Amino acid sequence: MIESIQTLVRYEWKAFIRNTFQLFMLLVMAAIGMYAIYSGQSEINQQRKNIEIVSNLEEEEFSRYRSSFENEERSLEEEQLHDIASRPEFAWYRHGYHAIIPPHDFASLSIGQRDLFRYYYRLTGMSLYYQLFENELANPVNLMIGNFDLSFVIVYLIPLLIIAFCYNLFSSEKENGTLALLQIQSISIPYIIFIRLTFYFFILTGFILLISTVGIISAGSPLTDANLLPTIAWLSIVVAYSGFWFGLCYLINSFRKSSSFNAVAAIGCWLLFLIIIPTVLNVVASSKYPLNSATLAGLTRRSSMGNEDDEKAMKKLISEYLNRRPDLQSDTKGIENNLMAKGYASFTSLGDIKNKAVVDEYNSQVAKRNDWTSRLQWTSPAINMQNCLALIAKTDLTTFLLFQTDLANFHKKITDFYFKRLFRDQPIKQEDYNQLPTFTLTENDNRWKYVWFSTAKIFLAGIFITVLGFFRFMK
Amino acid sequence: MSPLVLVAKKEIKVAIRERIVVALGVIITLLLAISVYAGFLSYQQQKSVIEKTQAEKREEWLNQGDKHPHIAAHFGTFVFKPKTAISLFDFGLDAFTGTSIYLEAHHQHEFMFRPAQDHSTMIRFGELSAALVLKILMPLLIIFLAFGCFTRERESGTFSLLLSQGVSMRSLVWGKILAFCLMLSCILLPFFLCTILLTAGGESSNILHDLHIRTMLLIVSYGAYLFLFIAFAVWTSLHAVSGRNALLTLLSVWIVLTILMPKVVANVSENLYVLPSMRAFKADIEHDKAHCLDGASPRSARIARLEAELLKEYQVDSVEELPFNFEGVMMQAGEEYSHQVYDHHFGKIKETFSRQNRLSSIASLVNPYMSIQNLSMAFSGTDIYSFIHFEEVVESYRREMIRKMNNDMAENSKYGEFYEYAAGSELWHELRDFSYRSPSIWSILKNYTLEIIGLIAWLALSLIFLFQSGRTTKPLYD
Repeated sequence: MIESIQTLVRYEWKAFIRNTFQLFMLLVMAAIGMYAIYSGQSEINQQRKNIEIVSNLEEEEFSRYRSSFENEERSLEEEQLHDIASRPEFAWYRHGYHAIIPPHDFASLSIGQRDLFRYYYRLTGMSLYYQLFENELANPVNLMIGNFDLSFVIVYLIPLLIIAFCYNLFSSEKENGTLALLQIQSISIPYIIFIRLTFYFFILTGFILLISTVGIISAGSPLTDANLLPTIAWLSIVVAYSGFWFGLCYLINSFRKSSSFNAVAAIGCWLLFLIIIPTVLNVVASSKYPLNSATLAGLTRRSSMGNEDDEKAMKKLISEYLNRRPDLQSDTKGIENNLMAKGYASFTSLGDIKNKAVVDEYNSQVAKRNDWTSRLQWTSPAINMQNCLALIAKTDLTTFLLFQTDLANFHKKITDFYFKRLFRDQPIKQEDYNQLPTFTLTENDNRWKYVWFSTAKIFLAGIFITVLGFFRFMK
Repeated sequence: MSPLVLVAKKEIKVAIRERIVVALGVIITLLLAISVYAGFLSYQQQKSVIEKTQAEKREEWLNQGDKHPHIAAHFGTFVFKPKTAISLFDFGLDAFTGTSIYLEAHHQHEFMFRPAQDHSTMIRFGELSAALVLKILMPLLIIFLAFGCFTRERESGTFSLLLSQGVSMRSLVWGKILAFCLMLSCILLPFFLCTILLTAGGESSNILHDLHIRTMLLIVSYGAYLFLFIAFAVWTSLHAVSGRNALLTLLSVWIVLTILMPKVVANVSENLYVLPSMRAFKADIEHDKAHCLDGASPRSARIARLEAELLKEYQVDSVEELPFNFEGVMMQAGEEYSHQVYDHHFGKIKETFSRQNRLSSIASLVNPYMSIQNLSMAFSGTDIYSFIHFEEVVESYRREMIRKMNNDMAENSKYGEFYEYAAGSELWHELRDFSYRSPSIWSILKNYTLEIIGLIAWLALSLIFLFQSGRTTKPLYD
């Protein structure tokens, strides 16, 4: 038995290295993979560069504020700057803080929704929703066509490579007339095909792992804390996915049909999993959970108070806001000081409180739609795979939805910082600059559960169809 | 019966016997039906929400109460991108362009909310639309139908029999092409009829110019595109050594044309022509608004110059004596200056877009899939140039709104007064309700000459090849 396996593998290896066309295909695929790695990195590096630019802009802004405290004698312009730096009635809407979601090292391997969502925001104390919905500049044509990253190569192209190698393992024997020779061997045909398939499984999976490893190493060291688990997850799911397609090829071979039939069937399956199922799910999701952002648009209006000279209305607004936020109340002075700034601060904050319900409702609709699609993801391993790679690289929708929540929290920190001083009539002091509000990002803790679960699903699906193929073959 | 018809009849019979091909045909028909139905459903949903919200915003504008025109200009209004019936044929960029915009004084905003942001990463697989079925799945059906049309004859030895019967090569080739065209028409004709009926319902023809021409152009261009694939498949089958080889060649070409190449081109274009970040873009605009595009005349200098000019023209000593409110004129002048700045910066962005898209136009000279992709979006009014046109119309509406407000302020209020003056609903009514009409299809098509040339050239080339192979009867077996 073992001897015949050895013979089989030896001959398969010979056939493999002599088939220049197959080697050429591997070479082309390797080139495509390398280009995908490069292309993903240039996209993410552009984002890193933009992040650096905006961080520098922020640093510059604040260092000017800080330095305005240094000298005692100021020119008119310096005086103005110092007012913005030290007086909360100006500072609350002028000081801009960046909330950034830095790319994970592997984001370049699976760009996911990162090109579609904002990855940095500049927030001031002004109305949150006025600042939240602006898009990043992007060419919609390129957004539609999508990114050419390693995840695309793995999800779309690797199955095709596997099909090209394995669609005719049985039928070619029949068509070359060697089938009869095989049938007189001591091991059965299903077994022979299985061994040949396993041979290619090791070769091609090794090949994909190699490309993945090149991608991973060039994206970031796989040994750091942030990258170790993602590396293991990435490599495992790639093996599972590759296994699934080999299983499928085995099943197709088990029908003992012609090469052409096999090719048509295999491409048909590819079409089903990569194009038909996802596009149908998308269009059904859109009409089953209709969402129209038109309802949100109104929130972005930078409305102003009707009459800024109307002190009474202003005071009413302020006391309404302070009733909600007793912690901001000052016990020493009245609200006369900086009435306009306090009025506007109350006005926008009250507006935000009111609008929060609308935004939360909308986001819960998005989450519902997302739930529905993720419940149906088992219908296609490709969807599962793409989603997992995005989760591993933290470029998925949930990451960005969480980012939105973090932004709201950060905005609250910012307004608290300025409003405490504004409503209590305290200046911003030099030492206050050491405790400016800072942004913290929430991790999506659930993602690993999902990734491992999906990996197991794809893996089991692969085993299931292989077994199915085996039984068909035996018949 | 002429041999041409006989050949066609036989080919259809063979195809119907192939269960897997019939299954794919049925699936495609089903998908077309789903795409039209689901597309229509979401079109109606979106349309009603958009129209309702647009009307609400109009009401808000009209009933905003008495206030100073400049406060009204900041209150502003919103415009939502309308959905057209024909867009359900090809969603195009609809999921990736913003859908609403806030119009206010001083700021030219960008469109917000890309619908794809409300989807998980799965949206990047695309949404099922009739266009997707026709441009990606149909060619595959053609390949499956036609890859064996000659190799099978050859492998079973009927090829030489046919020729010895006096059937000309030409009628063989064209008979088979006729058969495939007929089979595809069975799927396509009902569908096209449906599309014509749905779009001719004409609900949105007030938005979209020449709807009928667009529909016809869609049908013609997809017809040409699919014929190209038929011709290519038949030609490949004629020249391939075996059915397997024909199939593999055709499939490889299909993958390169529809899956691989569009992505590579888009990514190369993005790496070649880089867009700035929104933050930097905005910072540049603010800088230029404050310091002037040439960097020489800051805002204060521009105001002083305007003041001097007006004082001289009206021969008065101070702005208070002018027969209108100087602040209104000043405001409008500032506004007009900011238009220049915006036009300059947005112009640069649009230029980068069109440079990026130019690459895909060039690539469509070799790739008919990319031609049809761009043309189909253009005919459906969901392409980038239709969107840019919409953006421009919206922006000129914003400028009209601001101008009306500033002029009213200049005419009716006094210098130095602000809250003392309030305009009312009469002024709000002076601003017409926003309405949009797309440009004519011909003006949009100007951007797509390369795509049209590409498609026509491929068509001509394929006809030449077919006639060529029809004429030569080279030895069957070397």
